[in-house]
Amino acid sequence: MEAVEIYVVQLMHGLVYGMLIFMVTSGLTLVLGMMGILNITHAAFYMLGAYFGYSLALSLNSFWLSLLISPLIVSGLAVIIERFFLRGTYGGGHIPQVLLTFGLFFIISELVRLIWGSTPLRLAEPALLEGGISFMGRVFPIYRLFIIGFSSLIFLAMALLLLRTRIGVIIRAAVSDADMVEALGNNVPAYFVGVFAVGAFLAALAGVIAAPLLSVFSGMGDQVLIDCFVVVIIGGFGSLVGALIASLMIGQLQAFGSLWFPELALVLQFLLMVVVLVIRPTGLLGEEI
Amino acid sequence: MSRNRIYKITGAVATVFLLLVLAPKFLPEMKIHLATEIMIFALFAVSFNLLYGYGGMLAFGFAAFFGFGAYATALIISRIPAMPLLLTLAIAALSGFVMALLIGPLAVRLKGTYFALITFAFQMFLYAIALKWRDVTNGDDGIGIARPDLYLPFLGNLSMAEISNLYYVTLALVALGIIACYLFLKTPLGNSIMCIRDNDVRSSFLGYSVYLTKVTVFCLSGFLAGLAGGLFVLFNEFVATNCIDLSMSFLVVLMALVGGTGQFLGPILGAAFYITFQDWVSSLTQRWWLFIGALYVVVILYIPDGLISLFKSERIRLFGNRKRG
Amino acid sequence: MHTILKAENIVKEFVGLKALNGVTLEVYEGERHAIIGPNGAGKSTLFNIITGMFKPSSGKMFFRGKDITGWPAHKIARAKISRSFQIINVYPKTTVYENIRNAVVSKFNRRFNWVTLLSRDQNIEKESNRLLDLLSLTAARDVLASELSHGMQRQLELALTLALDPELIMLDEPTAGFTRDESHKVVQLIRQVTEGKTLIIVEHDMEAVFSLADRITVLSYGQILATGTPNEIRENEEIKKAYLGRKGNGTGA
Repeated sequence: MEAVEIYVVQLMHGLVYGMLIFMVTSGLTLVLGMMGILNITHAAFYMLGAYFGYSLALSLNSFWLSLLISPLIVSGLAVIIERFFLRGTYGGGHIPQVLLTFGLFFIISELVRLIWGSTPLRLAEPALLEGGISFMGRVFPIYRLFIIGFSSLIFLAMALLLLRTRIGVIIRAAVSDADMVEALGNNVPAYFVGVFAVGAFLAALAGVIAAPLLSVFSGMGDQVLIDCFVVVIIGGFGSLVGALIASLMIGQLQAFGSLWFPELALVLQFLLMVVVLVIRPTGLLGEEI
Repeated sequence: MSRNRIYKITGAVATVFLLLVLAPKFLPEMKIHLATEIMIFALFAVSFNLLYGYGGMLAFGFAAFFGFGAYATALIISRIPAMPLLLTLAIAALSGFVMALLIGPLAVRLKGTYFALITFAFQMFLYAIALKWRDVTNGDDGIGIARPDLYLPFLGNLSMAEISNLYYVTLALVALGIIACYLFLKTPLGNSIMCIRDNDVRSSFLGYSVYLTKVTVFCLSGFLAGLAGGLFVLFNEFVATNCIDLSMSFLVVLMALVGGTGQFLGPILGAAFYITFQDWVSSLTQRWWLFIGALYVVVILYIPDGLISLFKSERIRLFGNRKRG
Repeated sequence: MHTILKAENIVKEFVGLKALNGVTLEVYEGERHAIIGPNGAGKSTLFNIITGMFKPSSGKMFFRGKDITGWPAHKIARAKISRSFQIINVYPKTTVYENIRNAVVSKFNRRFNWVTLLSRDQNIEKESNRLLDLLSLTAARDVLASELSHGMQRQLELALTLALDPELIMLDEPTAGFTRDESHKVVQLIRQVTEGKTLIIVEHDMEAVFSLADRITVLSYGQILATGTPNEIRENEEIKKAYLGRKGNGTGA
């Protein structure tokens, strides 16, 4: 029954990565649904979260504090970016927006490289979560269980917020039809900034949490960008549930992919994207409604 | 366009060309070096703008074709030393074309951000291969090459180690590529590409095959980008993963935008500006990327039509190919 | 009477909505055939299926006996079925001449020609000028399409539709947005340019319909209520009740 254990372990690993990706893409898909822009800079928030997390953990000597503060910093930065950069492009159509978010993503990546250097950095997991639990004759790292548990809590909190509160109702409505919601007297732009900021917060949070597991390196942004893109394509924009399902799929693909074809992680990502796009291409002329 | 204008423009271009031909006679070697680099990126930027400005398709992974052309060139030069230089460069261009043919049929079905990102994913995919397949590409250590000689009848073996020789070869090929591109846009096919950019729905109801036309312009852009990549390796005497990574993809977007994507000459100006600017700023500070980044943001927010729009006194319509009066 | 277009049991379903529920229709060569019906009847859907914008969920479409079911728009256009758009759909940032020329390039099958200079092509130039003249657009030759008056834009819209020398001309509410007088002029123009050709016109303007059409098809809730000459339709009790009872002019209720 050895094989079963391996699969279970990989399943868990896949779950871990899937939940991380979900945390990152949740904000992205809501922003996409509300404003129609795929905010490429979002992937940089994930990266910044990890790097700030690293530095804060080092200087404050506490993982937990950095887990709290790093996302706050990134979130603040996100608000500044939205206010001073993105807002200038709202009137001009999607292209300037997309160009800007792409540029910002790149610029932030370079800044990170400039400030922190190009060598991968190591952020250690907190002492509390070190070690492993015996499970089915194998040792499963506590930290990974923590990731699964923590991100599930986040998902629940988001679900509650969106389903049970008035704010949530407005956000969901705005994803469907922002103009109408605004016409009904709600300050949609303000909600948008809020969603933007919270999305960035979650992405950065994911970055910090992922750091002990995936290490902190300058190519983080590029990698997660592709995953985000795949998730959004498969899951559909504006749909959190879609993002969740797609993220879990990606997670499993990564896990089993690295088991069976370790060198080819990116190949699989890419192939998945190709397959999805072949089945559901968007923007074909003559496409039915 | 009035006859007068045609004469003026031809005159201006001829003058510039003459200057370019004479340049190595009176410029110091460093400047010739710089000029060669500018020409290579001018071709790269023009090929990008063929796809974006004229084709209406914004690609964030355009370095895929440049980089693949670059690697193809380096591999040929290092492994098949007897291959004539011009043939090598032709293969570089063809490599770009083939890569575009591989991803084009799928990518072109997408619009907007999705198109941009799938080209990016494709480029990252190629980047990963370049990085991991050390046996062939040497990973991020890259492959160094020695510039092969160019054999021309009547002139014999011209050493490309001589910078002015390299300059002339680059000038000839880049000029050829750019002029071919320019003339191409004046053909019915060039017009078709712009029709589809401007109104793909109407075009298809007028009998245009949007899909085929888009794949065609995608492949032609890839062709020219591949050539630029080959020339780059010849120039640099080295290829590494930076030729096929995010920075290179970003750079070509930057150059085209800074120069101006609404005019044919815009990207050329953008390349010239960028290379010169980068050369100057990087001599001043290690943190020159910050300035590049700032430049990019400033252009998008405040000079969306690019630097070339600042030169013209009459108002230019974006993508209009036409001036009033 | 020779049938030029035949729709056989066309069904079209969108998510949650059955727009067309088994439409069978024959259009004769050389006739002017109007399709009318209340909003939501499925007129646009049928129109779009014939012209290749949509594929039918089931059913078949024949043009001159050839099965064109599911053909993409560009293939249908090349088969000499041409359409106009209800909301003006031209090339806004190019001149009237260049607009027409785009159609002419396609008509002459030169879309993929990369070895000649477009501006030097005498044949294309001649034909473009001829079409400009035909549609009285010569004076506006060098004006940008976006800067034309509404009326002129409509003319350009029509010109683009006709530029392909279509055998079957399909017009989508060509009098939309016009005043009474202007509509008369448009109808005149349509009558003129569709002489000897087959016309299918979707319209709400009953005056235009009754003055132009040789035969009328009435659509309602995705099905054909009746097809017949204007007189037959006028006398038809069922239709009178369902539709003609409203003052059908301009946009229906």
